[in-house]
Amino acid sequence: MTTIPFNHKMGAHCESGTVTSLVNHAGLDLTEPMVFGIASGIFFGYFHKHRSFTFPTFIVRNRPGDMRKNIQKRLGVKFNTFSFSREEEGMKKLDELLLQGIPVATQVDFYYLDYVPSWERAHVNVHFMVVIGKEEDDYIISDSYFPKPERLKEESLRRGRFAGGNMAPKGFLFYTARVPEQPDLRRPILKGIEKACFNMLSLPVPFIGIKGIRLFAKRVVDWPTFARDTEHLSHEVMKINILLEDQGTGGAGFRYMYATFLQQASSLLHNPKLKELSQQLMTIGDGWREISLFAARIGKNRELGPEKLKELSTLIMDRADVEEKFFKELKKSIK
Amino acid sequence: MKEKEGFVDCPEQQMILYVEKENGQFGPMQTGSYITKNYIDDYFDKRKNLEQSLHEQIKKGEISPVKFFMVWEDLTERELAARTNIPLRKVRKHLLPHYFNNLSADILQRYAIVFNVSVKQLQQADATTKALNEESAKP
Repeated sequence: MTTIPFNHKMGAHCESGTVTSLVNHAGLDLTEPMVFGIASGIFFGYFHKHRSFTFPTFIVRNRPGDMRKNIQKRLGVKFNTFSFSREEEGMKKLDELLLQGIPVATQVDFYYLDYVPSWERAHVNVHFMVVIGKEEDDYIISDSYFPKPERLKEESLRRGRFAGGNMAPKGFLFYTARVPEQPDLRRPILKGIEKACFNMLSLPVPFIGIKGIRLFAKRVVDWPTFARDTEHLSHEVMKINILLEDQGTGGAGFRYMYATFLQQASSLLHNPKLKELSQQLMTIGDGWREISLFAARIGKNRELGPEKLKELSTLIMDRADVEEKFFKELKKSIK
Repeated sequence: MKEKEGFVDCPEQQMILYVEKENGQFGPMQTGSYITKNYIDDYFDKRKNLEQSLHEQIKKGEISPVKFFMVWEDLTERELAARTNIPLRKVRKHLLPHYFNNLSADILQRYAIVFNVSVKQLQQADATTKALNEESAKP
């Protein structure tokens, strides 16, 4: 078996990058920010206690899998999807599709990807990437977090695809079956924005959206009670930087990528207000970036007393206030 | 963020950052990880100290190698139970040395797969190999 000719591109995020690469390969010219925006990717959720997390944490994108589903629903793209209870069956199906020359997206546990540097690896069951070939015992992977296609041993891919635990991948595969020719993006863009505003402003859940950012701000001062020691607390506080910047967000917890989407949407919809809002969101993103850098700095210096955590809390609370105003304006701008 | 402010020289960990270009358009730029570039030594120091502290607990007979790796890999008891397909109440027992020493080959293998180590490494709570690999791979 050889490698399918595939235009490998880096992406900010694994799911939006994977979906973008697949639809581009099928002939639909969309940017990653457009996929992210139409799919209502922007989000916030804070988890103070969760059975799968050892420490309080937060998310800045919608539920894994929703980007693919929303693109399918709103743009009329058809993805064929498969899950498997038996490993052999799942590996066989992947090989069959590759033999037919079809690039296949897979869901894996990030931890088993040999090409990922050790310090980046973590058990996260919702990493998406495209398998584009097989050469001897190695699969060829187009992973949007890496500058070039990588090789992955069959055993590692198998372990990643069939890892257990929270959101277990169950060998999940998908590929593009059909894309629309020159789709009208206007309605999908409006739908995407509308749902994003709903998620950020109106979901009746106390830890989601703007309410989630406020909860994060209030509870971050309690983080020392969860830590084994100062170094553990430092590690977790520094992870704020990783979650906002490094874990595939395009910077500032997806705020920069969403600003890019709004700028592109503004020209497509001939809506100058969206352009103004895109600029506003870029500035809001700079505030999140400030939080990232602050968290990294106090973590490194072990300045983790109540005063510094209070300062961190104030910075986060300020983001909640400006984002509430922003999303209300965004909602109005598409009425 | 302006494009010129986004550049970080860290070839070991590249990423895409969305920035404002000189012409006012927003778009992607390929750059490096700020935290890896500036703070990776701190991460490795913490990992070494954690390993040492967990080894001391093993020596004192306070924890088993399963607990060692569970903490090392940042997994909860529930998550470990789900990943190994071992009931939670049994996993809780396996965190103690007394129960760990009587585990069957099959159970040991299940843990070893989740922790991505050999059974021998698991039994010896040998994260050293992993730690050394991490250390040698650092930028």
